[in-house]
Amino acid sequence: MEVRNILLVEDDELDVISVKRSLRKLEHSYNLDTAYNGIEALEILQQCKLREKPLPDIILLDLNMPKMNGIEFLKALRQDEKLRDLKVFVMTTSGDEADRKTTEQLGVSGYLIKPLNFNNNDKRTDSLEGFFQFHLRKIIAL
Amino acid sequence: MRLSTLIFLGFSVVIVLSLVDSYVNNLLSDKVNQNIVFLTRSEAVIRNSSRLHKSIIEMQSGFRGYLLTDEQEFLQPYFSGLKVIPRLFNEQRALIKESDVQSRKLDSIARLHQEWINYANSLIEAKKESLEESRVSNRYQYLFENKLRKQVGKKINDNIASIFRRFDRLEYQVRENRRDQLLLSIDRTKTFSFIFSMLTVAVGVMSGIYIVLLISRRIKQMVNLAESISKGQFILVKDNKNDELTSLSNSLNIMSTELSKNISELEKRNRELNQFAYVVSHDLKAPIRGIYNVVQWIEEDLGEEISSEMRKYLNIIPQRINRMEDLIHGLLDYARISRDKPVKEVVDVNIMLQGIAEMLVPESFRLNIDKMPVLFTEKIRLEQVFSNLISNAVKYSKGENPAIEIQSEEKLNAFQFKVIDNGIGIDPQYHSKIFEIFQTLREKHDKESTGIGLAIVKRIIEEKQSTIKVESEPGKGTAFIFTWPKD
Repeated sequence: MEVRNILLVEDDELDVISVKRSLRKLEHSYNLDTAYNGIEALEILQQCKLREKPLPDIILLDLNMPKMNGIEFLKALRQDEKLRDLKVFVMTTSGDEADRKTTEQLGVSGYLIKPLNFNNNDKRTDSLEGFFQFHLRKIIAL
Repeated sequence: MRLSTLIFLGFSVVIVLSLVDSYVNNLLSDKVNQNIVFLTRSEAVIRNSSRLHKSIIEMQSGFRGYLLTDEQEFLQPYFSGLKVIPRLFNEQRALIKESDVQSRKLDSIARLHQEWINYANSLIEAKKESLEESRVSNRYQYLFENKLRKQVGKKINDNIASIFRRFDRLEYQVRENRRDQLLLSIDRTKTFSFIFSMLTVAVGVMSGIYIVLLISRRIKQMVNLAESISKGQFILVKDNKNDELTSLSNSLNIMSTELSKNISELEKRNRELNQFAYVVSHDLKAPIRGIYNVVQWIEEDLGEEISSEMRKYLNIIPQRINRMEDLIHGLLDYARISRDKPVKEVVDVNIMLQGIAEMLVPESFRLNIDKMPVLFTEKIRLEQVFSNLISNAVKYSKGENPAIEIQSEEKLNAFQFKVIDNGIGIDPQYHSKIFEIFQTLREKHDKESTGIGLAIVKRIIEEKQSTIKVESEPGKGTAFIFTWPKD
């Protein structure tokens, strides 16, 4: 199976761990880079271009971040000729319809709202890790 | 113009008109009084004149009688006339001193009378002389022939009588003129007085009506303002009259503006508070979720290495997290009531209650639901109310034969619903407390009760301008009775 390159842009340490643990459980080969805000993510992508390293197959993007938020990052990404075609998945706690619309206009492959409560007795998504596991499986399989 | 000035002005006009009226009436009564004085005097003049004339005639009769009969007795009126007549003349003169014409007439009468007295005296003396000498004296004879026979006395007397007639006629005529004038002026005054009274009444009534209308219109404006304020519309009164009521309307305007400012400030605060509650409860969830995850990771990664005691501790954490989440949910629901405005839809309360009962009421409960109405209303809100009340009925049930009954009754503008249980009941001293947020009558760490449910119910019902009350006694079950508007 082909190795997936994933760039996770997320400022919450806990979410980063959740994603990592979920990926580990998927038994799927992957390389994970982590950026804690939009600027770090852009820097990583610039380095990829310079060193001719492979660009990520998927960017998992949070929206609420310090320094440069997800939407600003997405705008910058879509303006870069070499980066504009990268696949982006938004994973946010924001239920704001305006955010969803803006990101859709900027072109995203998916928009997931991270749940805040886990009392729905759905084993697949009963914890944040479960939630990531459930969705990452589908995303990576793309 | 100030209202008091206006009122003062109106009264002043009325008073001035009344004063003019009474002044004119006063003038008239002066005239009448003058005339009465004049008439009295005039009557005295006539009376005097006739007495004078009578005395003169009596003198003349006495004189003639004496000459004819030689009897001294006949001279009695003559001599008393000599005494009385000058006094009468003086009295008459005093009475008519203002009239030159009459005075002159009186003077000529006096002169003629004097002339007659001289003539009469000489004849009487001559007669006496001849009587004493028992023969007709030459002097008497002479006088008799030259004066009496030639009717000198008679001429004088006729003259006097004629002057008296003219004197009296003139006096009567003057009196007549005076009476005519007086009647005319009485007539004039009557008309004048009538017109002025009418004018006074008209001005009084009109200015009264004008002022009353003015004041009542202004007051009505203010009443309208107060009514609008009570309805929550903070309008202003337009008032540029600059009088006493203006300060009142200005105060009202200030009050209205202040109220409007305060209310919008209050509404803003309320919105902020709701926003705050929403944000806080939303943000509170993230750390809890983190703790929950970390506990799961510990359990997963340590697996069998965890001691059974440690596992017990670790199990407490998710329990408490669930309670925390329940609390946060309650807060969120509470904050959302005035934040979100749900859409209205057709709600069949029968179907809605069936759904709620299926979710919340265990099989062991006897459930009895009346025929319920179909409403056009905010479904979520009504659902929240019933859910909370029904879940309370379930939570606070007694062990044996638990039962829940839901009734509905149509009122004028609303439906009245009752949710009745046979549970543990509520002591009346807590009846008002139970609707306050975070008031639960059970122990603090009771898993199922957050103390928000009834606060949410009350807030929803109050937002609908409806009411809720509780009827309950310990051990005798509880009935929650609330109204819900028809549209």
